[in-house]
Amino acid sequence: MNESVSDGALELSLVNDLREIGAAAEKIDAFCEARSLSPQIAYAVNLSIDEILTNTISYGYDDEEEHRIDLTLRQEGDTLVVVIVDDGRAFDSSLEREPNVDATLEERALGGLGLFLVQQMMDDVDYQRRDTLNVITLRKSTSGQDEE
Amino acid sequence: MELTIERGDNALTASVNGRIDSTNARDFEEAIRTKIEDGDRAVIMDFENLSYISSAGLRAVLMTAKTLWKRDAKFALCSLSGPVKEVFEISGFDKIIPIHDTREGALSSLDS
Repeated sequence: MNESVSDGALELSLVNDLREIGAAAEKIDAFCEARSLSPQIAYAVNLSIDEILTNTISYGYDDEEEHRIDLTLRQEGDTLVVVIVDDGRAFDSSLEREPNVDATLEERALGGLGLFLVQQMMDDVDYQRRDTLNVITLRKSTSGQDEE
Repeated sequence: MELTIERGDNALTASVNGRIDSTNARDFEEAIRTKIEDGDRAVIMDFENLSYISSAGLRAVLMTAKTLWKRDAKFALCSLSGPVKEVFEISGFDKIIPIHDTREGALSSLDS
């Protein structure tokens, strides 16, 4: 993982290895702490980035090669903005199924929670395909962060 | 992640220290599964020192819950920190797995 900071933004360059996620989490925690963001916001941002990276690294590539994933965190006023750029295959949202959060233990399906958690914890999730790249932008409000 | 397993009179208690994410969720689930014996009637996961869990970890908890349910054994979680508890609530897991504020509370719930 490579790290750089420009204009107060945190820029991380990762490779497609799940172990990169824990290392990135420490940088993300430090970024949030330096801006006095609440642990709840740091957790929500970490979890969302983790879920997207886990998905991309586990299912997003058609080969076994090393791929680069760029991650940028920046604060724009009262909003924390996260941009994740990867060169995996295009994301097919038609495969997304909402989990049944009211199911009984017996009926409850094992998967499908990751992207649902991202949708629930972020204020805005945007996906764009730009040529060969996936660009995912997450936004989380940092105002009123002390409220429940 | 560190996992400590204690076998008490009424329950097998698994305490987790650190993170459960996509790199270790399978190991976590397997470590618990191999520790559960036929005679165990209840399992408690103590998450007091669990700093982070992702959907991969939730899946491991759900698999354990389903396994215990099939064996008619009890299962409960206790001592979740604020953000970890929120993830369980958003996922709806709080409706299918009993969550207690303290380990004592979880243990005493087994008597009922």
